[in-house]
Parts: sequence; C-alpha cells; structure tokens
Amino acid sequence: MATTNSMSISTLNSYYLPKSRTPPPRRSAYKPPRTTTTTVFAQPPTLAILSDPHVLRLAETLEDSIAASSSAASPPLPLQKLRDISSQSLLSTPWPSRKDELFRFTDTSFIKNSEIQPIPPSEMQSIASLSILGDTVFPNLAIVDGYLVDSLSNSSGLPNGVFVGPLSRLNSEDIMKRVSKYVSSFQGDLFWSLNGVGAPDVIVVYVPEGCKVENPLHLRLFSFNGSDKDSKTLPISNPRVLVLVEKGGEIGIVEEYSGGEGNDKCYWTNSVMEIVIGDGAKVSHSYVQSQSLGAAHVKWTSVRQESTSVYELIEVSTGGKLSRHNVHVQQVGPDTVTELSTFHLSIGDQLQDLHSKLVLDHPRGVSRQLHKCIVAHSLGQAVFDGNVQVNRDAQQTDAGQLTRSLLLEPRATVNVKPNLQIIADDVKCSHGAAISDLEENQLFYFQARGIDLQSARRALIFSFAAEVVQCFPDASVQKKVESLIRKLLDPALP
Amino acid sequence: MALFTPTFSLKSLTSTTSQRRRFGHSNWSFTARATVAVDAPSSSASDRGGAAPKLLLEVKDLSAVIADSKQPILKGVNLTVHEGEVHTVMGKNGSGKSTFAKVLVGHPDYEITGGSITYKGQDLVQMEPEERATAGLFMSFQSPVAIPGVSNIDFLNMAYNARRRKLGLPELGPIEFYGYVAPKLELVNMKIDLLNRNVNEGFSGGERKRNEILQLAVLGADLAILDEIDSGLDVDALRDVAKAVNRILTPKNSILMITHYLRLLEFIKPTYIHIMENGRIVKTGDISLAETLEREGYKAIA
Repeated sequence: MATTNSMSISTLNSYYLPKSRTPPPRRSAYKPPRTTTTTVFAQPPTLAILSDPHVLRLAETLEDSIAASSSAASPPLPLQKLRDISSQSLLSTPWPSRKDELFRFTDTSFIKNSEIQPIPPSEMQSIASLSILGDTVFPNLAIVDGYLVDSLSNSSGLPNGVFVGPLSRLNSEDIMKRVSKYVSSFQGDLFWSLNGVGAPDVIVVYVPEGCKVENPLHLRLFSFNGSDKDSKTLPISNPRVLVLVEKGGEIGIVEEYSGGEGNDKCYWTNSVMEIVIGDGAKVSHSYVQSQSLGAAHVKWTSVRQESTSVYELIEVSTGGKLSRHNVHVQQVGPDTVTELSTFHLSIGDQLQDLHSKLVLDHPRGVSRQLHKCIVAHSLGQAVFDGNVQVNRDAQQTDAGQLTRSLLLEPRATVNVKPNLQIIADDVKCSHGAAISDLEENQLFYFQARGIDLQSARRALIFSFAAEVVQCFPDASVQKKVESLIRKLLDPALP
Repeated sequence: MALFTPTFSLKSLTSTTSQRRRFGHSNWSFTARATVAVDAPSSSASDRGGAAPKLLLEVKDLSAVIADSKQPILKGVNLTVHEGEVHTVMGKNGSGKSTFAKVLVGHPDYEITGGSITYKGQDLVQMEPEERATAGLFMSFQSPVAIPGVSNIDFLNMAYNARRRKLGLPELGPIEFYGYVAPKLELVNMKIDLLNRNVNEGFSGGERKRNEILQLAVLGADLAILDEIDSGLDVDALRDVAKAVNRILTPKNSILMITHYLRLLEFIKPTYIHIMENGRIVKTGDISLAETLEREGYKAIA
C-alpha cells in the first residue's frame, strides 16, 4: 500500500489528467470507502471519473505557489494536515454548476472563466510601509493578500495566555495540540478546500479558559493586488483564521475586508474562518465586507458551539461583483445561543449571497436570525438560503428566522430560500420572508409630519439597514459602516 | 419534516365624520396653566374683543371611498372650524370618524369622490400630505406605525426642519435641536431616553399616544386632529396627555378630536359636539349631547 504524508495534486494530475485516462475498473463491493490517502492511491481510476480537470489545475497552481514561497522547514503539523485533507477532497469535487442546489441561484462562472493567479509573498514587503489601512486603537492584525504583515499589526495589550498570530510561530505545545484537534474538523465546499490548499498559514486566535478579552480584536484583511477589469485574470488570496475560545472565555472579533483604490479592481478573496466556542464561552463576530465591485469574495465561517456558549454574528456586505458568505453553525452541546444578523447591499451589477446553515442537535438551543438585503440596481441580485435543522434531540429549541428584502429598481432580483427542517417535536420555531418596496404606512407617517416623499424614502431605506447596523457591539464599527452605506446608497438612489 | 410559516400582515383602518356649525363664538375655556407653548393663552373667549374669529377649515359635502375596494365611507360631511374652536366628533364604530380625520390629512388609503375641503382659504385636496402638515395641520394617529431603524429624535428633527424650511427659517442641527426638544418631554411626562429609541418601536400603547402628543408639541399645529388619543390609556395617562394638549395649544389653535368617551371632554372642553353616523354628521350640539350619550347610548339621540 502506498502511503504518503503529503499528497500532492500534481502527482495525481500526472496520473489523471488527459494523458493517462485508463478505463476505471469496477470497485469491489467489500473495499472500504475511500477515506484515507492510502485508499485513494489504491483506487486511482475511480477518482478520475469524479475529478474535475479545471479544479485540479487550479489546485496545482495553488500548491506550486505555496511550495515556491514557503521556506525549507516543513509546515507545522496541523497546517500539513489541512493541506492533505483539502487536496484529497479536491480530487473528487467538481466545479459547482447551477444544477447543484447550493449554487442554484449563484453563478460562479465569473471566477471559473478567469485566470487565477496566486500572489507570491515577496510582493508583500514592499507595501509594508504604506499606511493603507488607517489607524485603529484596538489590537489588530493586518492581513494583506492573505499574508500577515507584522509591521502593520499590533497585538499588544492582549491578556496573558491569549495567542494571536500565525500557526508557524506558535510555540506552545498545548495550544498546538488543541489547534490540531480543530483545524479542518469540518468539510465545506470546493472553495473551502481550495482555501485549505492555498492558505499560506493559519492565523490562530486562542483564548484560554475563563479569559475575557476586553477589547475587540480587529482583523483587517486587505486586497492589494488587483488586475484590470478586462484582463480576465484574478489574483487570489486565501486567508485562513482559526478562533479557539476555551471554556468560559470571551472575545469580540471584527473581521473587515477592503481593497485598494478604485472600485473596479479585480481580485479573488477566498477566505475561511473556523470558530470553536467552548462551554459557556462567547464570541461576538463582526464582519464587514466592502471590497471592490470587480472582485470575487467567497467566505466561509464555520462555527462549533459547545454547551451554553454564545455566538453572535453581525454582518454587512456591500462589495464584490460576486460575494458569497457560507455560514455553518454546528451545535455540539445544549443551551446554546446563536444570533445571526446580516445585511447585504447590491448597488450595482453584483451578486450578494448568504448561505447559512444552523444545525441543532441538543436541547434548549436558542437561535435568532435576521437577514436583510437591498437590491438597488436593475442588474443587482441577492440570494439567501437559510437552513435551520432542528434534529431529534434538540427538544425545546427556540429558533426564529426572518428575512426581508427591499427591491428598489425594476428587474432587481432576489432569490430567498428560508427553510426549517424540524424533527424534534417540542420546539418553538418561527420563520418569515417578505420581499417588498417600502411600507406605505411608514412613508405616510413621515409625510403626515411634513417630510417629503423623497426624504422619507431615503430615511426608510437607511433605517432598513440600520436595524442590522445597530447590532454591531462596537460604536466605531457602527459609525464606519453607517457612513459606508450612506456613501454607497446616496448616489444610487433616485 | 419541513415547516414553513410565512408571515404577512395587512392592516386597514376605517372610521367617520362631522357636520358644520357657524357662530364663531369660540369658547376656549381651558384652565390656563399654559406656561409653555408660544403665547400664553388667555382664559376665555370674551378677551378676544368680539371680532369674529377667522375661518380655518370648511368641509362641504365631502364624500370618500376606500381606494382599493371603492367602498363608500364618507357620504356628505359638512363641518366648519374657526380659529380657537374645539370640535369633537363622536359616533359608533365604523361610522366614519377616523376616515374623516385621515382624509383631511391626505391618507392614500382613501379617495375623495365629491365635495370640497378648504383650509386657510386653500383647496386642501390639491395639497400633498406633507404640504398639509407644514401648513399647520396635524393628526395624531390612533395607532401610529413603528419605524425600526429611525430614532425618535432624528425623526422629530427631520419633521421640525421641514417646517422651518417652509417658514424660511434656518434648520436646526442635531445638538441645537436636542436643546429645543428636551424640555418638551416633560410636557408629556416622558423620559429622555425616549428620544434615542426608534420611532414607536416597542412602545406601549400609552407611550405611543404620548409620543404623538410630543410630536404635536414639537411641531405645533393650527388645527390639531386628535384621533382617539384616549383609547387604551389609563386615567393617569389620559390626564397627562390631555394636560399636555392644553398646555401646547393656544386660544388661536383649533382642535378636532375624535373620541368615544366623555372622560376626555372633561379635560379638553369642546365648543361643539358632532355625532357621526353612516358617513355623515347627523347631529351637532354642546357638551350636553355627549352627556346624554354617555348616559343613554346612541339610541337616545337617534
């Protein structure tokens, strides 16, 4: 049996890409399913059928880039493990098509038809001195094109025992052990795995037991390299973050994506954040995405909630030509609280997509989800697929979900698919979806107080977003996002 | 198993009207506790020195239907209001009282099919709702809508500035406006944090009513239409609200109020009582009409 520690896509490509296409022998029924590297090698031809040459080529490009840029020292074990698992899953993951339920409304051909260029780390140092990110008073990490830039970061002022930094610099064996346990404990889609192959390192945020971090940690992710609109190339970055909060710990994370001058630069941010929340711990997660309108932004947030833990997500996404956020929350203990408040804005020829999935397997979980979106352009589109699974043991769950969409232009499109799957029989679940223009009686209330229709419409549109924006726990983030939305909406409104 | 519970909500409200009355001997008999507001009101009409008060609102043969269903609600309403008069419209549920109020302020749910409304000499029907408001017409809503995401103070500030623009006065910035509005809260006996809450969001019934009156206090009105400001209020809250109305308005302001109960009239003394029935004002009288009504019901005056 062939075994390798680090399986490489290129090795496999040499087997399976066009030149070697042997007809697949039948798989014998008693063979175990292919779950290990070993089996993969023992069963090559089966894979050849499932592999997508386009995906393999892309994976190979990413792998080559990582190999070329990393130092001679072997990567830390968890990172190696991540790369292995990801490579392996890419072998059997085709590029998603509109026939896949999860991509039914989301056309990813913009990415598929572009030439994807990994960004080498060397280019980072030249911009290290630039003050592209502005100031922040909070502990923060600057991650430019997927690489941590130390000179722009400042992680001082964090309590003892908290580790914030790249996995490759993690010295504590204990933390390493914990990290190993959770790195890639979840399997996402193609983009998740591409990130696993292409991530230069894993940024680790570790909060020890009982530690309450007072100030929010600001992760500032910036896309510096971009191509011109007609170049059909997309420089790709693959930032990856693991947040691990032990029993009783608390932290606020502000994750902010932006990108350079001009609003038509093209790049692809393919980001993953994994969050593990221990017993009674709490993570408040603010996520702001305002990248270029020429960019592709694909984001995964995978959350694992142990008993009595609290997870809050507040999201505002306005950027990207194609922007998709996949949120997966898995409950692994009882009495959890999950609050998801999200706002998407499409002011141009752009797609904003939220796919959320909340899986409740234990009793007395409470979840509240509010998703709102505004489409203010006739070519704009918004997609929402909100899945809540209340499984057999999740008795006395209290799950609420509400989505509201505002279409401000003729032909503006929204596709919403809220869905609850309930197996437990003693639960309280609610769900609502509304797609509308502004409410007449609210408009009239303004008018009845002397405010003209146009000002009233404007105020109501901002207030529609404000319901989510007001949820940001940090006032400075709230202010910043408010003015961002104002700046985007003002010229877009009639 | 999948469960879907889509939520939708539709609301429509209907109600009634009034008739006319001349004789501008306005009887402004509030106890003059008015320390606030614009000019201090004098306590009785006799101080006015006999000059006939100015005509403010004249409604003639007004008929209106629900815009969607074309169902007739108002069937020939006549009413005349002079400066300083307090008119009360009473009537059974569904007689057209609230519809009349809403038609006056230009609510889009209703369509005027006949008759005329003249306000300060202008054709009110031709005016947009916001023009009517800046011209001094104010209606307190029976159940005001909540506006999540818009803070009360921002809303008031916008409305106040709209009025200032109309009067050719400079607008007030948020800080100046705060200084202007804060003392008014005392009038309606509300806490300052009300200003930072979203308009009517999570307000109790009583808070909504007080908030309407706060808006009246901030914006002022030449004709205040008070649609059931007493419904859902306990005795103390009712006294607060009525007191506030009395302190806000001067002898030159007029009131058109809709109510089911005599109780409110003990606080805000009406010049005239109108009884509305089936889209028309069928009877007009003084306070004794309301007293009869309270004792014997609508049968007594039918």
